[in-house]
Amino acid sequence: MVPVARRMLFTDRRRALLGVAGVAVALVMALTLDGIFAGTTRQVSRYIDTSPADIFVSQEGVRTIHMAISVVPVAVIDQIRELTGVTWTEPILFSGDALEVPAGRRPTYVIGYQPDGRGGPQTLIEGSEPGTGQIVIDDSAADALDIAIGDEVEVMGLSWRVSGLTTGMTSIINTTVYVTFEDLALVLGSSNSASYILIGTEGDPETVANNIEAVIPGVETQTRPRFSAEERTVVKDMSTDLLNIMSLAALLVGLAVIGLVLYATVLSRLRDIGVMKALGLGGLGVFRLVLTQAMWTVVTALALALAATFGIGAVVAALAPDIDLVVEPASLLRTGVGAVLVGALGVIFPLIRVWRVDPATVFRRTS
Amino acid sequence: MSTTALAARQLDKTFGEGSTQVHAVRGVDLEVQAGEVVLIMGPSGSGKTTLLSMLGAMLRPTSGEIVVDGNDLAAIPESRLPKLRATTFGFVFQDFNLLGALTAQENVEFALNLTDVSGKEARGRAQDLLTKLGLGERLSFRPDQLSGGEKQRVAIARALANQPPVILADEPTANLDSKIGHDIARLLRTIATEENRAVVMVSHDSRLKEVADRILWLEDGAFRNLQNMETDPVCGMSVDPQEAPHLQAEGDTVVYFCSTACREEYATAESPGRHAFPGMPSTDQHGEP
Repeated sequence: MVPVARRMLFTDRRRALLGVAGVAVALVMALTLDGIFAGTTRQVSRYIDTSPADIFVSQEGVRTIHMAISVVPVAVIDQIRELTGVTWTEPILFSGDALEVPAGRRPTYVIGYQPDGRGGPQTLIEGSEPGTGQIVIDDSAADALDIAIGDEVEVMGLSWRVSGLTTGMTSIINTTVYVTFEDLALVLGSSNSASYILIGTEGDPETVANNIEAVIPGVETQTRPRFSAEERTVVKDMSTDLLNIMSLAALLVGLAVIGLVLYATVLSRLRDIGVMKALGLGGLGVFRLVLTQAMWTVVTALALALAATFGIGAVVAALAPDIDLVVEPASLLRTGVGAVLVGALGVIFPLIRVWRVDPATVFRRTS
Repeated sequence: MSTTALAARQLDKTFGEGSTQVHAVRGVDLEVQAGEVVLIMGPSGSGKTTLLSMLGAMLRPTSGEIVVDGNDLAAIPESRLPKLRATTFGFVFQDFNLLGALTAQENVEFALNLTDVSGKEARGRAQDLLTKLGLGERLSFRPDQLSGGEKQRVAIARALANQPPVILADEPTANLDSKIGHDIARLLRTIATEENRAVVMVSHDSRLKEVADRILWLEDGAFRNLQNMETDPVCGMSVDPQEAPHLQAEGDTVVYFCSTACREEYATAESPGRHAFPGMPSTDQHGEP
């Protein structure tokens, strides 16, 4: 078959380029929003994802770190250690606050851990682990707030001296700082309790987790992947409505652009369409013609948008390391399906216009 | 033995209602045999285009019947008309009406695609047709890269692609110079003779008379007897003396005109102190709107 739809669409290259670019911009908006959101949720669960623990134990009913308060008696650690499959245990304390210096402030997770233990920063890029009154902060937050090792910072109303820098623990939402377990216990006034207990296992973590819950009352156990997924879900749930509204707005812009592009293409080719109808193109053929043009616009725009989003991701990574832009397959699929639906909707008005073209117009003179 | 390719009986077309009602075509009877070339002439607004639109299944008659290939076009459902147009008619237009986004070959292939001929077969047939019409070197040219004569030959190839029994040509030579116009006229004649197709042409161009088997005069939506017609001395058109504007020339001679404009022009040219009427102008003065 002669690719008449594609030819008609792309013969006027400038118009086609503008149209495809317009739709691509709308799709870039949707993909970028999704990408930043996906990147942020990944960053939010980074402490969990990079932890060597196979199981996280929390207070019964608490399934996340974000937006949660968990209190687990330290006494249960000894009981857990006795169980089959448990190789190591380590308590951590957690609180949420802000990291403050004269140059500014940034919301932060505060982790209290035992230095030389497994609950602290996994990548210490400079300096040393915290001692009493000391704190380890993330290099990205340090850059943003102009903090260096040895500087004083304020967290939870107290002054701390920066002993080291970690990396990869700052997102556009917050950062993560580390102090000693004892210091944070003093600040929180918690004695003989932890927020979470990290557990290393041998064998199947799921089996060990179930065993802990069966033996020790009042605790919740989750494997690392499940705990991480719960953490991301709670962040997503908090932002889903906003994200949906913004994605919908982007797709509506795309719809308007596709509709306008196709309408303009159709208007510029009404005589050709009249000729095709006169020659014998039926209603189904006309529908296929306009729909194919819409799909070409959408598919080309989607490819362009994907390339542009990866480009934006690279630029953002270089200019703003706190922002992680991740294009997930699910996001691509969602945006693609949305774009196809938008393309299908976009043909309605052009189709109505084309439907009304009288094939007898071929007998009218063009000049 | 000749066979009837197209027959129209008591064809009427009325537009509008009440005081705005216009009878574009009234009581037209027409039979065209396979292999015959029929030329329909007439002044602007005489109903030629309306008649051609009805014959080509693009416009429904108010009454009457059009029979092509045993099908009464007036009785066929609207949804079947496009396919019937693709298989039964080949169209040739004054403005060529080639699809600007496609090459010459693709324009012909497109017509074949409409009858479900595609791929290699469509390409082969399109190439053969265009080569036969002398366009073998122009297959990949777009319409804007072709001359007027070449465009019209592509349009003729497109019209022939599906081997339709009837070719309908609307002013096929109007946008072409004299020589090319003659070539196209002869080509249409050849197609009718050699391929046994009925060719119905609507035109103001008297050059087409040479190739026509029959010439019909349409005026006010009805055919008139051409033998009783007079010639307008200004534009050269045939006019019906029963209805045409006229004036008394020198002696007893009565001169007939297609319009009052021609009559006034004639009277001005003939009046004392003016130059004599210079001659017959081109038929372009009467191009349809």
